Amino acid sequence: MFEYFYNEILRRTVIAFGTLFNNISIKHINSSNQVVSDLKVPLAYGPTQKFLARLTQSPDLNKAVAMTLPRMSFEFTGLTYDPSRKVTTTQTFTVKSATDGDVTKKAFMPVPYNMQFELSIMSKLNDDALQIIEQILPYFQPSYNLTVELVDEINEKRDIPIVLENVTMQDDYEGDFSTRRVLLYTLRFTAKTFLFGPVTTATKDIIKTSKVSFLAGTDPTNTTRELAFVSTPRAIKNYTGTILTTLANDVTAFDVLIPVDSAASITTNTYLDIGDEEVYVVSKSGNNLTVKRGQDKTTATTHLKGDPVKSITSADNLLIPDGDDFGFSGNIT
Amino acid sequence: MLNPFFQQGSLTEQGLIQDLINEQLRMYGVEVHYLPRKYLTEKTIIREVIQSSFADAYPIEAYVENFDGYADNTTILSKFGIQQSQELTLTISRERFKTYISPLIKDKSNIKLSTRPKEGDLIYFPLGDRLFEIKFVEHEKPFYQLQKNYVYTLKCELFRYEDEVIDTTIAEIDDLLLGGNLDGLTEDGISTLLGVTQTLTLVGAGVTATATAGIVTSGGIRLITVTNRGGGYTSTPRVGISSAPVGKVTGVATATMISGIVVCTDSANPNAQSVQSVQIINPGAGYTVTPSIKFVGGGGSGAAATATLGDGVVGIITITAGGSGYSTSPTVTFTNQIFLSGVTTVAAAATAVVSSAGTITAIRITNAGVGYSIAPLITIGDPSTSGVGTFSANETVTGSISGVTARVRSWNSTTSVLEVSNVTGAFVIKENIVGSESGASYALRLIDTNPTEDGYSDNANIESQADAIIDFSERNPFGIP
Repeated sequence: MFEYFYNEILRRTVIAFGTLFNNISIKHINSSNQVVSDLKVPLAYGPTQKFLARLTQSPDLNKAVAMTLPRMSFEFTGLTYDPSRKVTTTQTFTVKSATDGDVTKKAFMPVPYNMQFELSIMSKLNDDALQIIEQILPYFQPSYNLTVELVDEINEKRDIPIVLENVTMQDDYEGDFSTRRVLLYTLRFTAKTFLFGPVTTATKDIIKTSKVSFLAGTDPTNTTRELAFVSTPRAIKNYTGTILTTLANDVTAFDVLIPVDSAASITTNTYLDIGDEEVYVVSKSGNNLTVKRGQDKTTATTHLKGDPVKSITSADNLLIPDGDDFGFSGNIT
Repeated sequence: MLNPFFQQGSLTEQGLIQDLINEQLRMYGVEVHYLPRKYLTEKTIIREVIQSSFADAYPIEAYVENFDGYADNTTILSKFGIQQSQELTLTISRERFKTYISPLIKDKSNIKLSTRPKEGDLIYFPLGDRLFEIKFVEHEKPFYQLQKNYVYTLKCELFRYEDEVIDTTIAEIDDLLLGGNLDGLTEDGISTLLGVTQTLTLVGAGVTATATAGIVTSGGIRLITVTNRGGGYTSTPRVGISSAPVGKVTGVATATMISGIVVCTDSANPNAQSVQSVQIINPGAGYTVTPSIKFVGGGGSGAAATATLGDGVVGIITITAGGSGYSTSPTVTFTNQIFLSGVTTVAAAATAVVSSAGTITAIRITNAGVGYSIAPLITIGDPSTSGVGTFSANETVTGSISGVTARVRSWNSTTSVLEVSNVTGAFVIKENIVGSESGASYALRLIDTNPTEDGYSDNANIESQADAIIDFSERNPFGIP
């Protein structure tokens, strides 16, 4: 209508539905209670191109048998709007882009749709069909929830309840001997999925600084700002991989004088990352650094000669992963 | 009034007609094979034969009544894939069945009713190479001529196959389930296997791996001794080694882990491991000061180790041929060991790393020795399980550990892929798959239980596509997440 987009939600729901049934087996057990054959029931999405089916299933034209059984097939048969799951249209999801740290992805609330599915089971023996049906039904009470990642771009995972609506069976065994017995079970399901619109990109919505102000006074029109806290996240480890130099000797957990191979590219009053320990460079003299160990709650440990010394700069701040709590456990100590 | 010159049903008259019919069938008929069904297991109450086999095939002449071919439109596309419904009507002689086939099947085990052709038995029809199932046996057409019936009319339709065993020892019948192709593939590689099979990838005939070693004349790491195993590691920690002086080579090593050691200070995590040993990948060179060893990452703590330096140690070991067919780590021995005189000497030791594909991917030094004057030669042990033989079609194979049996559908000796049907359980990786008739025996490397099923089955695709989008942190009750 307005722009091209394709989230593959319907296709994903078809795949998710199909995978519920792709590992069903039947067993034939003989009179001395031994398994004589353990078959995994073939499953496929029923509709296909006719020429493709002919090509893959009868490559030699001649087929020695009519078909092999048991088989299961499923197909997507219809879509209906589900008003009971509707939410407000104006709300949006805003999440950080998985690929680009500088942008956010935004999508409006999805529209709820019910997808109808039909699972058909054909078998040669009723005993086989009963085994298959009995392995399916107990999981649907009457629904079974699947967690499906519907839209990659916004990492949106949704629980899709698959509701078993009804089961019909057909066992045509009566009649003359010119027709064969047909055993067919049909299970109808509804998958309650959500259809998302296009995902848009916004660059301005990333929070890089937060500020809390405390206002004092009783007059709501004229208050005084007593105190303000500003917090800007700063990386406490190296993300970019920039190696400035290497350690010139082994370092214990307590050494504050660290020898490096070349201190030329190290500036004082900056932070360094040595083996995930954050150190603060107080001063340098030749190739020896005087540092404060174990900054920002990182642990001071031993380091070996040759270990890389990495920088921590503003470039690393941008690469802080989503959801990093900077070690804050929720308790103020 | 009936013609008094005929006896209207004397044995000789009836015999004459039967002979004439037999003669006609032999002239105008087609030689089909009659396959009697063996009733191996029947289910009561639900009243079905759930296990049957067809082990014999008897040639018999039959007149084909479909003189103008099969009916039109007998191949349809259904939701269960392509279905064929060709029907065939055959006429066979009563006498020939009674005097030829009945005595042959009469006392065979699991045969029901030997006196007449019966519904459920199969007919192999050589024109078109097809297998028909008898749906109905008509015994009163033509109607009592000279007070007797002389033929059976068999109404047949293409067989619907499930897991019946077809093992008649007649090659053209037994290969029907392979789609007439001995390897179950068309020339273009499209599978023509019929019925549900499992694909077993076996370890082919083994090839011994080879490797060469270098030598480090001064300042190499001889061995790394674990002084504290530590604990609580959930993954293998990286082994850090102090770097060698400028221009020299820094050593590389890797840790092996052991579980089941309880370290009091760590919470009892059954998955937690401790460091078992440190194996050297590259002993480095030119160290003048013993390097320190550190364990990085892995989630645990406390592990510590020390290094020992030496001159004349075994250097990097390079695999020149990874071999194949290994299922367990072979022994690694050093030969042609020539040591310097006048110094302490120790022989080197190493272990081999076996990949899941059965090849040797690396040799890890557990002790690089000391005092070598030249690089020793390395000999890697032969693969312990080397497969032998050629599986024959339709034979039963047995897993040496699991005891599971299956029937060979096809065997590809180039790729070591065995297609089996009628599997009675779950095979175990690394057990030997032994053929009952051929005596062939190969170790099992991979099992794929997804049926290939003549192009219909799509289980494997559906599963792999779903793995990418479904969060099965909750267990998938129907599959492997």
